[in-house]
Amino acid sequence: MTDVSGPLERVVEALARLAARGETIEDEWTYVHDLETVWVARLRAVAVAGAAAEPPPPGPTPAELEAALDRLVAEADLVTDPHRAIDWLSTLPQATLVALGEAAW
Amino acid sequence: MRFQDAAKDARAVVYAGVQADPLVARAAALLADATPPQRVLARAVMNGETTAPESWRTMFPTLFGSTGPAEGSPERDRSEAVLAASLAVAGRGEQVRSQFRGAIVEAVTELLLERRVGAGAIRRERRILFDGVAAEIHPYDVTVETPGVAEAYDCKWGARGISADVLHQLDDARAHAAAAGGRLLPVLVVFDARRSCEGRLARQTAPRTGTRLVTIETLDRLSGRRAEVAS
Repeated sequence: MTDVSGPLERVVEALARLAARGETIEDEWTYVHDLETVWVARLRAVAVAGAAAEPPPPGPTPAELEAALDRLVAEADLVTDPHRAIDWLSTLPQATLVALGEAAW
Repeated sequence: MRFQDAAKDARAVVYAGVQADPLVARAAALLADATPPQRVLARAVMNGETTAPESWRTMFPTLFGSTGPAEGSPERDRSEAVLAASLAVAGRGEQVRSQFRGAIVEAVTELLLERRVGAGAIRRERRILFDGVAAEIHPYDVTVETPGVAEAYDCKWGARGISADVLHQLDDARAHAAAAGGRLLPVLVVFDARRSCEGRLARQTAPRTGTRLVTIETLDRLSGRRAEVAS
């Protein structure tokens, strides 16, 4: 895996936007931010491990990976309903990890 | 401890129609044999907005990209089939797809359990009755009914479906069975990552130590197979 810290930070930003939408469900405020916290930590850990991997493990080409993460972020940004935003707070990181060739959890 | 078919109220009749839809069976059969990444694909598509398959192929390069399984290979064909079925579910509209997603998780659970205990021991939409105890209103999605040992499954599409009510109902069944000298294993099946489920459970005060949690990455344990370690 090549250095993906830049693209992954765009996913992290997308998670923040999903959290902002999801937190409008008052009863779920804490859960929304718990989800964001644990998944951002997981994504950043993957970014650090990927940057240090030598040689890089097999996975999608850099161009395919870039396109995948761009498209996943765009998909997350299509979600306007706060309930679905909460669903996507869990789905986006799992899909991102699959795109990277990582275990999705 | 006794099992009983749930009453056929109006909601149950409508939901039975969803459960019987061929699309549910088709999606469940695919997901029962899917890899963890293919299950994540299904989760994303059924949760998603985009209806163009090419966009999803772009989002999942390890399944559809140049370094993924070759076109025409069984693995690639299954990814395409999962994508097509998931798009068909997403295309049913928000309200209906929510019901379909739940029914699919139940159907996948049933299929995987069949591989371990055989179809004859598995029932759907059953209530569990104990002498001297008021019966729960909501039936269990799936039960395994074998002499001496029973299993009760509550199936959820996402971690957000985990609630105090669900946890209490599962644990109550376990406790009542034990009090009656029987054994009942309560299981919560969630088509979502354990990381998200643990976040949900961390805020719950309802009892959960006697309830087994099966998540999207460990679904295969229902069939007696160990989960894959990596995607």
